Amino acid sequence: MNMKRLLFILAIAASGSLNSCVDMDITPKNIVTDNELLNTPAGMDIYMSRMYSLMPFEDFKYTAQWGFESNGWLNSTGIEGTGEAVNREGLSASFTGERTSYWSKGFVLIRDANHLIETLPAFRENFSEELYNHYLGEAYYVRAMTFYTMAKRFGGIPLVTKVIQYPSSEDEMEVPRASEEETWDQILADFDQAIELLMPQEIKEGYANKYVALAFKSEAMLYAGSVAKYNQDVSGRLTGIGRKTGVRVIGFDEASWRTASVRYFTEAYQAARTIMQDGKYSLYKKRWIAGDTEAQYQNMVEMFSDLSSPENIYVKEYIFPTATHSFDAYNMPFSFRSPLSAGTCPTLDFVELFDGFDRYPDGSIRVTNGDQNASGEYLMFDSPLDFFKDAEPRLRAYVIFPFDQFRNKQIEVRGGVYTGDAPIKPFFSSYAYNNADTRYQNLSIYNGSSKSLYLSPREGGSQELVDYNGQQMTAAGQEGPFFDNGEATVTGLYLRKWLQTNPSAELGEGKSAQPFILMRYADVLLNAAEAAIELELVGASSPDGSSLLQVATDAINAIRERAGAVMLQGTLTGDVNGRNIVRKERRKELAFEHKSKWDIRRWRVAHYEGRDGFWGESRDKNKFSNNENFRFRGLYPFFSTKTGKYFFDARFQWIASKTFGYRPLDYYFEVPSGEVAKSSVIDQQPNR
Amino acid sequence: MLALVSSCSLFEADSYDAPDVTLVGSVVDVLTGKPVLTDQGSEGIRVRLTELSWGDNVEHNPDFYCMPDGTFQNTKLFKGNYHITVDGPFVPLLRRDPDGKELADESIVMNLETSHQVKFEVQPFLHVEWVGEPTVQNGKITAKVKVTRGVSPEDFKAKVEPMGNYNDDFLNMTDIQFFVSYSSSVGYRARDERWSSRLDYSGNSFEDLFGQTITIESNGEIPAGRTVFVRAAARINYNTPVGSGTRRWNYNEAKEILVN
Repeated sequence: MNMKRLLFILAIAASGSLNSCVDMDITPKNIVTDNELLNTPAGMDIYMSRMYSLMPFEDFKYTAQWGFESNGWLNSTGIEGTGEAVNREGLSASFTGERTSYWSKGFVLIRDANHLIETLPAFRENFSEELYNHYLGEAYYVRAMTFYTMAKRFGGIPLVTKVIQYPSSEDEMEVPRASEEETWDQILADFDQAIELLMPQEIKEGYANKYVALAFKSEAMLYAGSVAKYNQDVSGRLTGIGRKTGVRVIGFDEASWRTASVRYFTEAYQAARTIMQDGKYSLYKKRWIAGDTEAQYQNMVEMFSDLSSPENIYVKEYIFPTATHSFDAYNMPFSFRSPLSAGTCPTLDFVELFDGFDRYPDGSIRVTNGDQNASGEYLMFDSPLDFFKDAEPRLRAYVIFPFDQFRNKQIEVRGGVYTGDAPIKPFFSSYAYNNADTRYQNLSIYNGSSKSLYLSPREGGSQELVDYNGQQMTAAGQEGPFFDNGEATVTGLYLRKWLQTNPSAELGEGKSAQPFILMRYADVLLNAAEAAIELELVGASSPDGSSLLQVATDAINAIRERAGAVMLQGTLTGDVNGRNIVRKERRKELAFEHKSKWDIRRWRVAHYEGRDGFWGESRDKNKFSNNENFRFRGLYPFFSTKTGKYFFDARFQWIASKTFGYRPLDYYFEVPSGEVAKSSVIDQQPNR
Repeated sequence: MLALVSSCSLFEADSYDAPDVTLVGSVVDVLTGKPVLTDQGSEGIRVRLTELSWGDNVEHNPDFYCMPDGTFQNTKLFKGNYHITVDGPFVPLLRRDPDGKELADESIVMNLETSHQVKFEVQPFLHVEWVGEPTVQNGKITAKVKVTRGVSPEDFKAKVEPMGNYNDDFLNMTDIQFFVSYSSSVGYRARDERWSSRLDYSGNSFEDLFGQTITIESNGEIPAGRTVFVRAAARINYNTPVGSGTRRWNYNEAKEILVN
């Protein structure tokens, strides 16, 4: 459209300066038109590659605080208040909005999809029936994905389903936000169109096929069903009417939320079941051996970089040196920094979701022989790794434990050295939330006259030294933590998932090319299980006659078996307890994949009143939050010179001391105020 | 090319007047005339100005918030015709029915030109008062407070029920907070986690305790020799503005206490 204007201006300029009598009706040679683009598979490939390059994929180029800015700067995962991880940066904050809102960018892509849907029929005879349908299916898929990406951020959105000509009247050009229910229905319809039209096999790696559309449909419908249902649990029902249009732009009508929720969960279940029954995909078990935890761990490390994995449904690939990212450059342990490190520091709370640890009566991980971590004496270990000897193999594949191997190196993580007598009493008298800001540096055993605790503010020459067996031992490990330098781990743990494991691979910004798995078969199993339980919870019938609870149980067990986790006892129950088992499994399996932040949102468990359910399972929110903010914990190994052994202290994250907050308001992002101000029909969120 | 044609305007100074209009306001209890005390920050009383001369489709000015004493001031406003409203722990001034239709708007609409004073008379949900002076022993502060309703349940219901989704639980008193801080702006946002405490009440269990003296004690041990500030706050089970999910507290005035 801008081109038309430009031509118009040039034409006027030309007519003013020249006195030509020839009409200028020849298409310029440097403009590619539909005629060249849409009449051959090669031209279509160009059209498609533009659409796919604009797709809002949350991968190594996406940072939650910033939104889709399409660069990998400081990229890390799970740090946006999901509890999976934290880091030192300001961008480790709750997911309450994105610096670059996904609004206008979305409509650029929607226009491309709409253009194809409207124009391709004119070129129908150029393609086989199957191929023609597939192209159309891709357009519907792109539109569904874009609407979905916007809907989970804003609720109801303008449903632009045709190409809007420009210039034209205001009525034509202004599209108000639809209701949230209409929006999800449109997404459902677009996914269904795509599924019907797409071939089972994609044309090119990274493009859509029928199963890709089915998998994302099940994810989107799970989101819709959850929002319809759990908005009701938020104080005062989370819904509202737009000021300008009177449309219910967020939330659902009192009269329709129940049926809408069941409808969406049913669709989510059916879509996931179709993938499960067609049998094209399976869980990755190439290296998996029953009963062999080492093999199970290796299997889960390798599955994230193996492009031939049968589990991969949809993958964003990178190619060195032309299409690369920088995930390794920001997330490696401290001694591998290139130029940064420790961008994703997993938390103890996350570790607590996994099997294989001794626990206190309240379910938290045991570090002393008392009945909670402020009582009794520290448990002693010959090596920090002994603490993790029974840990679930999946956890070891996701997180580097202190003193575990990574890239042919032992990752020496040590919070400090203690020279006092054993047995050792807990360092703090209280580990409660309100004491979180009292740190190791504040303890009299560190800064008092009879010093017995040694810590290091920074690496290298700033390390405090302790004599041990005639040798000098640094207080902190080579990989930190350092209390004045957040560039080493701030929680005592490092990320392993996604990171380049080959020790000879060169590290640095723009040097990584691992693929990002956007959708895998485990997602589908978890979608099926969660939708099944939700349907069971309201007493809805199984859409395909299958036993809902059996399908859910089998799905969870398949994932647990591959993970090396403890299998379920019996069948899942159709109650909140059963639902929480499924949610918790999802929290564990899909961690660090940019998914949990959406799960926490759709379950409505981030604000204070709902926060007991934050971890998928039920935990007392007052243990990690006050009525405003919440925090996560670290796990810090200390060395005792008197015994030559290690012990662990479990406390609120020590170094960057991140606190997170979430209000019910944040479940729907603010519509960019400029878009609201310049339009007479675009509504702001009514509760803002 | 076009820029060259109209380039003369580039050399003219921007002559638009700097914003110099001052608006000073207070939020007071309609019955007693006393200020409605609040927290400093986005959980306190929100002041929202909308300049109406831009037409129907106007975006409001950036929000700002009252000071703890229930007053506000903005000295950098442009001249204009404004819709001024406040949201806080009191019966909403701007009430709409479930379909978005306006039921009542007790906000102020006025022309702002020089310096202006406004007063909002509202019906606070609760009154929180000190009973006697807080006492200190072994680093613990013990205070007595009294909570009473600022608006009668009937009046509340009459005004809030037409807004839809009404529930009798809205009127339940849910919790009393006891905020302790080194800062004189003590409140929800400026509290010390180590010492602040709270009392929770489920359902309508507080109903018989309205007007009674409630004793509340700080947590932990406050180091001797320091001055701290304390404040109590209470709230009902109703969020303002509707749909924001934020339940705001009514406060009493801060007291300075020497811990020795």
